[in-house]
Amino acid sequence: MMTLIRRELLDNLMTFRFAAATFIMLLLVVANTFVLIIDYERRLASHNDAVKMHQRQLQEKITYSAGEVRVDRPPNPLSIFNVGFDKRLGNEVRISHRVVPSLWDAGMHGSDNPFMDMFASMDIVFIFEVILSLFALIFAYNAFAGEYESGTLRLVLTHPIGRGKILVAKYMSAMLCLIVPLLISLLLSIILLTTSTAISLNSDDFLRIGGIILTSVAYLSVFYLIGLLISAATRRTSTALMLSMFIWGFLVLVYPNMILTVVPRPESPDALRTSAFNQIENIWETFDKERKHYLATDDFPGEDWGYELRGLGSRGANLMGNSQRLLYTYRSVMNFEGFGEKDEPKMPHAQKHFGFLGAQTIDAADRTWLIRKPALEEIFIQRADIERIYLKLSPVGLYDAATQAWAGTDLLGVRDFFHAARQYRQSVINYFYDNKVFESRQWFAGDKGEADWSGLPQFSFQRDDINTNAKRAIPDVCLLLMINVVLFIVIFLIFIKTEV
Amino acid sequence: MWHITKREIYDNLNSLRFALTTVLLLALMVTNAVKHLREHPKRVQRYQDAVTESSDRLTAHADGSLYKLAQYGPGNFYKKPSPLHFCANGGESILPDTITVREPPVFATDAENNVILQGVWSLSYPDANLQNKNVGPNVSQVDWAFIIGYILSLIALWFTFDAFSGEREQGTLRLMLANSIPRHTVLIGKFLGALFSISIPFALAVLVNLLLISTANTVHLTAEAWGRLGIIFCLALLYTSLFVALGLLVSARVQQSAVSLMILLLTWVTFVVFMPSTLASIASSFSPATSFDEFWKQRNPVKEDLWDKYDEWLWSSKLDDKTLRGKSEFYTENAERDERWHEERSKYRSSQVYRARAITGISPATLLQHLIEGFAGTGFERHLQFVENTQRYARQLREFVADTDRADPESLHILGVREGTSKKPISPESVPRFEDTLNLSRDFNTAAMELLLLTLFVLVLLSGAYLAFVRVEV
Repeated sequence: MMTLIRRELLDNLMTFRFAAATFIMLLLVVANTFVLIIDYERRLASHNDAVKMHQRQLQEKITYSAGEVRVDRPPNPLSIFNVGFDKRLGNEVRISHRVVPSLWDAGMHGSDNPFMDMFASMDIVFIFEVILSLFALIFAYNAFAGEYESGTLRLVLTHPIGRGKILVAKYMSAMLCLIVPLLISLLLSIILLTTSTAISLNSDDFLRIGGIILTSVAYLSVFYLIGLLISAATRRTSTALMLSMFIWGFLVLVYPNMILTVVPRPESPDALRTSAFNQIENIWETFDKERKHYLATDDFPGEDWGYELRGLGSRGANLMGNSQRLLYTYRSVMNFEGFGEKDEPKMPHAQKHFGFLGAQTIDAADRTWLIRKPALEEIFIQRADIERIYLKLSPVGLYDAATQAWAGTDLLGVRDFFHAARQYRQSVINYFYDNKVFESRQWFAGDKGEADWSGLPQFSFQRDDINTNAKRAIPDVCLLLMINVVLFIVIFLIFIKTEV
Repeated sequence: MWHITKREIYDNLNSLRFALTTVLLLALMVTNAVKHLREHPKRVQRYQDAVTESSDRLTAHADGSLYKLAQYGPGNFYKKPSPLHFCANGGESILPDTITVREPPVFATDAENNVILQGVWSLSYPDANLQNKNVGPNVSQVDWAFIIGYILSLIALWFTFDAFSGEREQGTLRLMLANSIPRHTVLIGKFLGALFSISIPFALAVLVNLLLISTANTVHLTAEAWGRLGIIFCLALLYTSLFVALGLLVSARVQQSAVSLMILLLTWVTFVVFMPSTLASIASSFSPATSFDEFWKQRNPVKEDLWDKYDEWLWSSKLDDKTLRGKSEFYTENAERDERWHEERSKYRSSQVYRARAITGISPATLLQHLIEGFAGTGFERHLQFVENTQRYARQLREFVADTDRADPESLHILGVREGTSKKPISPESVPRFEDTLNLSRDFNTAAMELLLLTLFVLVLLSGAYLAFVRVEV
């Protein structure tokens, strides 16, 4: 057995294809890692700029109602391996008691040139996707077919060795050869990553990279087995080579791009959208009614929502909605720097009113979220998930999905940020309640003491730990492994049955 | 020579790869046609609705008075969808298809919310569509550019990798060269043979695609569109011959066909798949994006000097010539500044994109992509054309307003101010209308450089193949 493996290994190692594979892989991975690191550093700088900017903008606001807390999603360092949704989805979101933030309310901080998105973006997993599969097939196509033709297979089989052992030996040795360039190139790119000052990887990150490597090996093995299957089935090197290349082109290039066009589209969920939006509108109409009712029965009758405060500053209020995103909210902003003499007696009433309004708005926003969340889920997420399942019918799609999950750049990973943002909103609201911000004079005026933003809880987003990533990635990795097992069994059966 | 070509074609026609190629190309082209037929009518409908709405707005403004037209301007501008959208999608999902006309800004109101200072309209160029709502998987479109750029080039290599090395392995090459045929004839024969045998399934697939598209009564192709399609077909052949030449070159130099295929595939992967995106990333890191702070400063430009300059007249309610003129100048200058800022930013961004395009031009796949986009009337070039068209129209409309005002003897000829402009309604028919046009000769000019480069690639590779083959020892 060991002799067989050694023989195969030497056979593979001394070939031109091995040298070419290693060289090309190193070249592509190292060159792209350089570019990707620069790109990541730029995005990180842009993120830091935005954080500082938002801090400053907040500090400048003298009333609580005018202040807008914004939180920013930092770029994921593992997006260098698989960029996933990291660049595509919104990276700044407004935290306000008026609305529960979601992915669809996020914006992009805009210092980058969005037109550059026209050019396809690139990551290390994409290189592996294309190149590893190609190499695996190139190593596999003549594994049996070549030996049939040269007659060495007959020679080997005259020895008292089981066919299973021959198959295993071939598989092991080729995989060893293929893993070498994969590991060397990954090692180099990790070394490059650690030299960059902007990127700090913790132990969890290394485990995640380990997960990516594991998935890559499984992916590699799938394509090697596909090649082996073709080689065992066709018995001629030229046919095997041709078929391998065709299947490679189909699986890597054609299928992922074509499948979504071919499958029938689900009906557009307009009815669902309208009904959900109507419910949301109702919530806010009730809110508005209660607000007006409060004003009418208030102990200070005859005033508008802002108590006709006249002074230096601005005020504004409106109900606004967006049926596409199912967004609806009541926005009232007051930003006064000073008042006239007549206004002072109104203050206690105004303060009480804003206290009432704050609690009502939070309640309405929370109720809106209960309707909005499942609706958004059904309109956007479920359709996209169905599309993803179609893509996973090919090993390429499985590999992409699994590595995204490991890197945390999949949809779930990005949505974790918005989950954290919602929790942060709750802590901001609690802080507001605890300090009686809604009832305070600083809610609408900065004349007697400005809004104090320093006590506000700080937002920090930690990516989920490795367990979560593993939980999300394991199903796809398992599917890849299962494909491996099935292919191996099929090849074994074919190989056993063949006459030499 | 024709003998060799014929032999090659017959050889290929019977092979497995020919059958597989035909099936693959047909499947892709049919997918492409079906998708186009499903989506294009909707696109056209959306465009027409938008244009009608915008035209109605212009009519309403013109019906009001010349002043209203001068103040509110036309409706929004929409990019006309290209009938050849199926040839190249051209990043249409990222490029904006609208240029909005900004409502006149309100500078000041009095206590009763009455407007006292209101400017005039200006053009506002929207950013690229940031698709931060699209949570679906990211896949490229199956358009002609994809089919030709990726699939057809791969097929070309697939047909030629064993052209010489395979014959050498079988020994037929020696046999052939033993005859009194010059080597360049053999080479050209092989070249043409491979090119023809690829063209047959490709032409078939294209025919089926166009048949599907042209027989459907929802999509109309004009004579000009057919001309453009012809050009795109020729481009596809040119591009294919590039890869055929590459295949022959490598095949002549290398002894084994397996090694030849491997070298070819690695070259292909590097140039076609990786280079476009890697080079674009490098190009974008050349010119750093403006920092967030700067961006905000630019976006909220300090207009105080403008306020100071016209302070004297802005707050006076007098109706004398000087005051009105001062206000009018303030409004126009303000609108001009807004537009200029937008224009400069979009110019900066375009120059970034242009640089990236120039650098990625090393890859023939990108060259082809740009060429097809150019002739299909989609993509970035077309976007710039649309922007230019709108700018031209905006100038035209402003001139028209000035001219019409001059014809009214009652007007004071001070544009942008209610008291200074003609208040007569004007017939909507006389107002110039915006029409988004595509220009073939212009496309030719912009494409000439890229076309030349692509031809150069082909010639270099062909002569390389010739030199390699001439020196080959059989």
